[in-house]
Amino acid sequence: MLFGIVLLYPLAGLFVPVGQWHWDASTTASAVWVSLGFTAVAMAIVVVLGTPMALYVARISTHERMWWQAILLISVLLPPLALGILLSLAFGPHALGSFLDLFGLKMTNTPLAFIVTQIYVSIGYYVLAAIAALDSVPKGLETQGALLGHSPWSVFWRITFPMARLGFAVALSLAWVRALTEFGAVVITAYYPAGMPVAIWTSLQNFGLPAVMPLLLIFLVTALPFPWLAHLLAQRRELRT
Amino acid sequence: MNCALDANVAKVRKDFTVEAAFQVAGGTACGLFGVSGAGKSTILSCIAGTEQPDRGYVRLGELTLFPPAFPVYLRPIGYLTQDPYLFPHLNVAQNICFGIAEHNGAADKTWINELRDRLQLDSIWRAPSYAISGGQARRVALARMLARKPNLVLLDEPFTGLDRHLVRELLDALGHWHKTLGFTMLLVDHESEVLERLCPQTIAIEAGRIVQQAAWSELRANPATPLLAQLLAPL
Repeated sequence: MLFGIVLLYPLAGLFVPVGQWHWDASTTASAVWVSLGFTAVAMAIVVVLGTPMALYVARISTHERMWWQAILLISVLLPPLALGILLSLAFGPHALGSFLDLFGLKMTNTPLAFIVTQIYVSIGYYVLAAIAALDSVPKGLETQGALLGHSPWSVFWRITFPMARLGFAVALSLAWVRALTEFGAVVITAYYPAGMPVAIWTSLQNFGLPAVMPLLLIFLVTALPFPWLAHLLAQRRELRT
Repeated sequence: MNCALDANVAKVRKDFTVEAAFQVAGGTACGLFGVSGAGKSTILSCIAGTEQPDRGYVRLGELTLFPPAFPVYLRPIGYLTQDPYLFPHLNVAQNICFGIAEHNGAADKTWINELRDRLQLDSIWRAPSYAISGGQARRVALARMLARKPNLVLLDEPFTGLDRHLVRELLDALGHWHKTLGFTMLLVDHESEVLERLCPQTIAIEAGRIVQQAAWSELRANPATPLLAQLLAPL
């Protein structure tokens, strides 16, 4: 009980008097739109690219799998600030940036830069958690599905995915939180357009806590419920079976 | 439906190489008998396609299953093991109908009803598959395998760990459908009593090799090896 209170204690900060909350509707709306809209696009790309990757890694030999997991772990373990700097350099004018320029693609302070950064910071989390979800489905059940006349595609949709779907939801929720709350990398690659983390930072710098609190509350409300529910549902299912 | 099985499979394992060549006439039942670890299950897996032989061939009637490897999901084979492998996210009825193409649903209704009634699955028909007993799960697995009316039925010690009453019941049901549906059957067990109920012919396996292929009377009268004699001796 005491542990729970200590763990949740930071939320008490929402009730600390910091003066009259200052609501800047245009900044807040723009930050919310940028964060939610771009994160949704990034998540769609993460799912489309990450799911086949997770399926591939979950089915390969242990040796090859270790290599892939090492690569995925590097993307997860890179400090966000370092990743932001590396992305700026790797996609900058002295590297890939000059090539992308030919197609009119700018990789600094653009929606594209924002979304690409979000994909880089979150896809490793998604793939690793999706692999764990796929690992939780016994291979014997998939074999049984094939023996009962179902093609690999049908086995995935009728056995593997239904059994791993909450694991996939957890994977997506982890990636969602990671992308939505990303600050360190995004502040380097896409200071503009400002998402919620950057908007909170600039509001804090320029106007102090009263300007930050409304944005902070919206930030928590949009970031927390989906992963929170996904984890709870996954645990309830595990306990039931 | 009358599919003869013609198998000649070799599979290298860590302990020895399984090498077996045999035929089972269409519509008949044959047993694979031997101690645990003799290679019986490997032979069945190679026929079902869940393992690939290193060399040899497998034919079922006109169909060549290996080589090249014919996709597992297209093989007209039913394969039942000790583990019923029921799909936990589906109920009993959904498990049983899992292998039946949806457009065949109406045509197969009578057949599914027969399976349900004969295997006494009525009371658990809509129950979640994870909530039924081990004995009930074996009945469901048998019904699910037979629902597709396979041409070849492979049974890998499917009655292990069940009480004698239930084993007798399942053997009777299986024997009945073997006669009425006419599928070819290959049954693995280390209990001669179980094999004898269904299979007039048996192939004895030791360390991956066939040591004798004969009717039960011949096998008991003249076992080819001391180990086989021990296996057939009363306790």
